[in-house]
Amino acid sequence: MNTTFDPKNPRVHQAHEKRIFNHPPVIILNVFLFSALLIGGIALLIFKMSIGWTLIGFSILPLMLIFWIKNALAEIPLGKSDDFTDLLSEDLLLNLKAQLTPAELVKVPAKTHSGMFLMARFGLTIPFFDQIASYLPTSTEPIYASAIKIRDRTNSKAITGAVLAVAIIENLPRFEQVLSHSKLTIADLDQGIIWFNHLNGIVRGNKKHPHTGGVARDFAFGFTPTLQRFAINLSTRYTGSANKILQAENTEIINKIIDIFSHPGRQNVALIGPYGSGRSSLVQAFAETLMNADTKIPTNLKYRQIYSLDAPSLISATKNPSEIEYLMIRIFNEIYSAKNIILCLDNAHLFFEEGPGSVDISNLLTPILEAGRIRIIMIMDDQKFLEISAKNSALANSLNRIVVHPADREETLKILMDRIPILEHQKGVVYTYRALTEAYRLSEQYIHDVEMPGKAKLLLESAASFADRGLVTADSVQTAVEKSYGVKVKVADQAEDKDKLLNLEQLIHDRMIDQEEAVSAVANALRRAGAGVRNQSRPIGTFLFLGPTGVGKTELAKTLSEVYFNGENNIIRLDMNEFVSADDVNRLIRDGATDPLSLTAQVMKQPFAVVLLDEIEKAHPSVLTTLLQVLDEGILRDEKNREVSFRDTIIIATSNAGANEIREKITAGEQINNFKESFIEQLITSNQFKPEFLNRFDEVCLFKPLSKEDLLGVLDLIIASTNKTLEPQKISVQLTPEAKQLLINKGYDPKMGARPMRRIVQKTVENIVAASILSGTAQPGSTLIITENEINSI
Amino acid sequence: MVMAIAEMFLWWYAHGWSVFIQKIKIGLTNITDFFSMSDLIRTLFQPFRQISADSATIDSSIDLKFHMFIDRLVSRIVGFCSRLILLVAGTIIIIVGGLFSLVLIILWPFIPLIPIVGIILTIIGVTL
Repeated sequence: MNTTFDPKNPRVHQAHEKRIFNHPPVIILNVFLFSALLIGGIALLIFKMSIGWTLIGFSILPLMLIFWIKNALAEIPLGKSDDFTDLLSEDLLLNLKAQLTPAELVKVPAKTHSGMFLMARFGLTIPFFDQIASYLPTSTEPIYASAIKIRDRTNSKAITGAVLAVAIIENLPRFEQVLSHSKLTIADLDQGIIWFNHLNGIVRGNKKHPHTGGVARDFAFGFTPTLQRFAINLSTRYTGSANKILQAENTEIINKIIDIFSHPGRQNVALIGPYGSGRSSLVQAFAETLMNADTKIPTNLKYRQIYSLDAPSLISATKNPSEIEYLMIRIFNEIYSAKNIILCLDNAHLFFEEGPGSVDISNLLTPILEAGRIRIIMIMDDQKFLEISAKNSALANSLNRIVVHPADREETLKILMDRIPILEHQKGVVYTYRALTEAYRLSEQYIHDVEMPGKAKLLLESAASFADRGLVTADSVQTAVEKSYGVKVKVADQAEDKDKLLNLEQLIHDRMIDQEEAVSAVANALRRAGAGVRNQSRPIGTFLFLGPTGVGKTELAKTLSEVYFNGENNIIRLDMNEFVSADDVNRLIRDGATDPLSLTAQVMKQPFAVVLLDEIEKAHPSVLTTLLQVLDEGILRDEKNREVSFRDTIIIATSNAGANEIREKITAGEQINNFKESFIEQLITSNQFKPEFLNRFDEVCLFKPLSKEDLLGVLDLIIASTNKTLEPQKISVQLTPEAKQLLINKGYDPKMGARPMRRIVQKTVENIVAASILSGTAQPGSTLIITENEINSI
Repeated sequence: MVMAIAEMFLWWYAHGWSVFIQKIKIGLTNITDFFSMSDLIRTLFQPFRQISADSATIDSSIDLKFHMFIDRLVSRIVGFCSRLILLVAGTIIIIVGGLFSLVLIILWPFIPLIPIVGIILTIIGVTL
């Protein structure tokens, strides 16, 4: 195996010849020459000049030349050896030279289609290749040897520009590290090569003339005017191009359908699977298989056409159910007489239930399905199938059920790579490979009602609106998720975001006093989320705040919401003393249409929020058991069995349980850390909380009672809040130290924490300010200094 | 250019011939597919586009049964005629195309000699 480029290889010569000759101007010139010689020759012969024969004779040469160009030079076959030059693609044969420096070599991939494809899809720019040139080996041989290996492992026919680009990268001293900057691996680049090869195969396949049966194909089959009015012919979409990529399982399903339809018995198939799992694509692929004359299928299925019946158009065309039945009978008669129709009922449940956009024809359909005279494919999800089974067991028993499973990651990516050109054409954008992988990851996390590959495709469609200069990147996909679902999925990369996360404690303390342990615990959870190192299969953080009333448990939740979750409104608060019976579990998971305040409905609307479960100890044990799954997996199913994700929430449960013990121990001078474990133990032994419940929380934080010093800080915060309220009137309030001390003495109550302080400030400070404003003593721009005497006078 | 023409002649007598035969094969297959030849033969006596009334049942009256029979018979005759026309047209085109292709395949090695033939005719002084 020779790993050098041989410029004398005949393939190099052929490639250059092709570049010169296989061009429209050359072909046009030859056509012109042929015509001129032929017409000239005939003209000369008409004028009795025998030289005309020579011209006519020579006119064959341009024709021969065209035939040679279009056939011999159309494709340069690979050489017979394993030598590097024998394996090169045509464009590389043109662009490589015998002696290339690394700086020259890195420019080659960008001159080829496949190289450009890889560079665009993986964000590998020309400056990137220019930069890495100096780190490459001076000899090209190791790079070419790598290219041969990459060709083998990606099952590529030839060494293309894309293969060479990957070989260049693979020859960098620490290429894994270089790629990791772009969040890529060499396996991803290999996928890129395979992606290009696949698309290239489709383009080549499209050039072949499709065999679809010819002009007399449907002579033996009847007319179906009514059916055509209310159904879409899926078979007309077949253009002869390469078959769609399907999940491996789906190819088996197509064979199973062929088997069912080609043998006597019940001529129906019920494709049961979740929305988005590729059921419709499967039917489309089946339709294409039947229309392709070159596929080996039984004759009784060849050229059978699949019509998808449109329930809404059927309903809109009729005035009452009897008319629908009449129409359906006509349609079934047409199908039976035509003999080449397979009826597809997409969303088949629409034909088995009464309601807007649906019609119940089960009584009509059941005998037809049982008789097996008409071929029918039904598409429905498993839930609907169960509902239909419960309602009409005879109908369910007459169906040949085939379960369609969602695609896994590898299959989804393959399918996306296959379908993406259509999406790109529709949206006028180009998708990067990272956009595809990110769409898989994020749709798996945030889209719950659709399955793979459908949900990844849906996300890619919406990401097109956030394309950056026509390029849909991973960032576009993340933005689409953030805008559509109101969550934060991007790792903090802006200086402002990073600063915010690094100084979270300080920001929180701008609104609340002390409670360092709890503040630090939630700040750490948010920093983990912001840096992208948190467990994506759980909520951002789950905390149980224990402590006496008025010490800042709820305030911390509100502060968190304000600081990190875009405002105090992004808090979902449930008073658990309203969930004291087992029946209240239903209220947690009730459908949003009937109860917009149920936990699942609120989180569905606001997935990026703080969930505050106040006074959790008062909730019924069944309610707590329901919440275990939320704390553990960040998922709760609502009454309609829809998954609701809590994975972008912080869940904070608060409780006053053991508040007296905390207060006593702190008053006795004990440190929280010294008695925390025994305290939690005590909560378990006294049956206030079950161990499995407490263990589900990331952290149990104990809040200590506020001291008089702490209360001074609380007072400052309350005064600051009053000043914020007065800001539009341009009036501010200040308290003398004596006045502050007086308020603290009045407002201090170890049992009630900071709560009485707010009432005292309202009664004193705010009343004084109100009186001053009304009497005109406080003018805009002035600062009211409130003294001890003024407070005492109230 | 001279080099290219020389290569073209070499190719003409090596791969060119088999490429041409391959192209003819593809062309004839496409024609066969266009005229649905195999389907025409297979369904020669079947009713045309199933244009006929519903099939009569055992309980149907003799009148109805007879009417159905005539109906289907007409449909079959229409189908037979239309298929036969296409079948004949397709067969003629395939035969003519096949013969023409066969002649070209036989003449293939002589095509590059046509300029020489032209020169000879000029020298002889043949005119129209």
